[in-house]
Amino acid sequence: MSPGPAAALLAAAGITALLTERLWAVATLTVILLAVCLRAPAERRSVYLFGALTTGLGVLVLSPFLWSAPDGTLLWEGPVVPVLGPLDITTTELFEAALNAFRLTALALAFAAYALLLDHDRLVAAAGAARRSALAVALATRLVPSLERDAVGLAESVRGRGVQLEGVRGYATLLSPLLAGSLERATNLAEAMEARGFGRAGTTRAPRPPWSWRDRLAVVAAGLLVVVAVLWL
Amino acid sequence: MALASVADLSFSYPAAPPALAGISLELERGEIVALLGPSGSGKSTLLRALSGLVPHFHGGRFSGRVVVAGLDTRAARPAELAGTVATVFQDPEDQVVMTIVANEVAFGLENLGTPPAEIWPRVERALASVDALHLWGRKTIELSGGELQRVCLASALALEPRLLLLDEPTSQLDAEAAALFFAAVEELGTAVVLSEHRVPRALELATRVVFVDGGRVVLDAPAREAREWLAAERPGWSEPCVSETQASSGEVALSISRVSFAYREALPVLDGVDLEVRRGEIVVLEGPNGSGKTTLARIAAGLLAPQAGRVEVSGRAGYLAQDPGRYLVKERAIEEVALAVNRDEQRAGAALERVGLAWAAHRHPRDLSSGERERLALAAVAVAEPDVLILDEPTRGVDPERKAALGSWLEEYAASGKAVVVATHDRDLPAHRRIGLCVSETQAARREARVGV
Repeated sequence: MSPGPAAALLAAAGITALLTERLWAVATLTVILLAVCLRAPAERRSVYLFGALTTGLGVLVLSPFLWSAPDGTLLWEGPVVPVLGPLDITTTELFEAALNAFRLTALALAFAAYALLLDHDRLVAAAGAARRSALAVALATRLVPSLERDAVGLAESVRGRGVQLEGVRGYATLLSPLLAGSLERATNLAEAMEARGFGRAGTTRAPRPPWSWRDRLAVVAAGLLVVVAVLWL
Repeated sequence: MALASVADLSFSYPAAPPALAGISLELERGEIVALLGPSGSGKSTLLRALSGLVPHFHGGRFSGRVVVAGLDTRAARPAELAGTVATVFQDPEDQVVMTIVANEVAFGLENLGTPPAEIWPRVERALASVDALHLWGRKTIELSGGELQRVCLASALALEPRLLLLDEPTSQLDAEAAALFFAAVEELGTAVVLSEHRVPRALELATRVVFVDGGRVVLDAPAREAREWLAAERPGWSEPCVSETQASSGEVALSISRVSFAYREALPVLDGVDLEVRRGEIVVLEGPNGSGKTTLARIAAGLLAPQAGRVEVSGRAGYLAQDPGRYLVKERAIEEVALAVNRDEQRAGAALERVGLAWAAHRHPRDLSSGERERLALAAVAVAEPDVLILDEPTRGVDPERKAALGSWLEEYAASGKAVVVATHDRDLPAHRRIGLCVSETQAARREARVGV
């Protein structure tokens, strides 16, 4: 499938996850997106899956304590904490927590599928007048694996000197060099792009294969998914 | 009329001492110029001045004049010079824009407005010229440093420029790939300025040599004259520093037996590798790109767990990664080195002095040139005097004099009862043993690695 229609399908899945109020619908969407992400190579998908699943889990665990619903069946009666209020858990709170957790996870997985499986170059090429913006988005997307690689390199560089990084504090010391490294990389990349004529007038595009019937079907399906989400879900 | 002329060029980066001082030279069509000089001497800055990136991209104080193909670089922006001039920068990872290899090579052609029908054939020719056609559909993020370097070279060659500027273009390539690349450059018939620390390779190709030191041109002569000048004035630049040394009989410091490793299932990088390194010994791991040198070095250092086999180290191993200048973590050079010795700045200062960086003790590591960063990283690993010192491509961006000094220091280090393992393409380092790793590719591009000594 061409990346344009695939991106439209993923965007529709993300929008549907945000719009729907039905737990089964957003849960199904999450499972489908997870299955799509599992098609990516294991070593590349792990950081995205970890991010998506832990964020969703975080919402599921924390939000019943941070938000109170007056209705529903009381499942557990906790203490009253200043600022947070009563730490009760009700069925309504659990339902909302699960719904929001699935929504967030589905959204993160849709982004993961976009980052891991789509040909961003063809998306840039298909972007027409917005080519520069599309390129900026594609480069920003690539920042995730670059940062991951740099983080591994920094940790190895320190461990290679016989210095152990322990706990969150140990790894936190790598944040500043990680940021400095990304800025340096961004400057170098900008320099290389300028040297290769980026920003010149009169650019052309390398010929790309036309859309197939499956691509057209995917675009129609994306539109239908959003309509269904708005009207029935 | 000369293709490019540089007249009385002086340049300083913002808030920095002069990088170039009064440089004048002319480049003719089709000539291949080797640009030599120590690390930090201004070679990369001169290349940037020829592509217009200095001063447009970097700012700073610029005086004098640079004209390329009739365009004054003070008026013409680098993007306007692109196509006439093509540059391959030192670090391939920092110049890749697109996700897929073929698109990366096509990127410059699209920017220059090349007719669409010509783009893919030119991409194909460029990739074939550096033996990288098999990488066509691969993702750039998944390529090794050497493969990425070939893709960057192809991206420059695809533009068919009149002036090709190459800043250490083969630093991550094995000998065969580098020879192939230089053959492609020679066939182009375009003017080339080649900054390269592997001097014999550069002299073989160049018709003329420009030697820069302290931002000034100290030699501008035909290659033959330059050889004589280098032999007389800079002997370290004309003679390789390889020395034949006796094998050691010390105790075993590193023992690797039947080690296997695969990053992906069914793609073994190492398959049943055995290696033993004794104290007092320098062992060099050689082999083409993708043969598993880095993987074996990381396994030996304990940074990667083998999927099969056993690794034993007597004492402690220290590891200097490939491209270590990217992975510096402190804000002053002396703090960077002191990290491994419980912030003992006295020992750190001595280590900095050994690598010729005492002057940079209080500088930010990222303000140093790439060669200087490599030396700083070496000092940061070696300061703790590990029993097994493992270095991955330690001579990248290091000039011949510094390389000779590194070779001597490695010999001294080994003689003090330590073991040294060096993974490198560079044959100018001393070794007691050289171990060849090889890689074979099937038609299905599934790689199988095996080890031969």
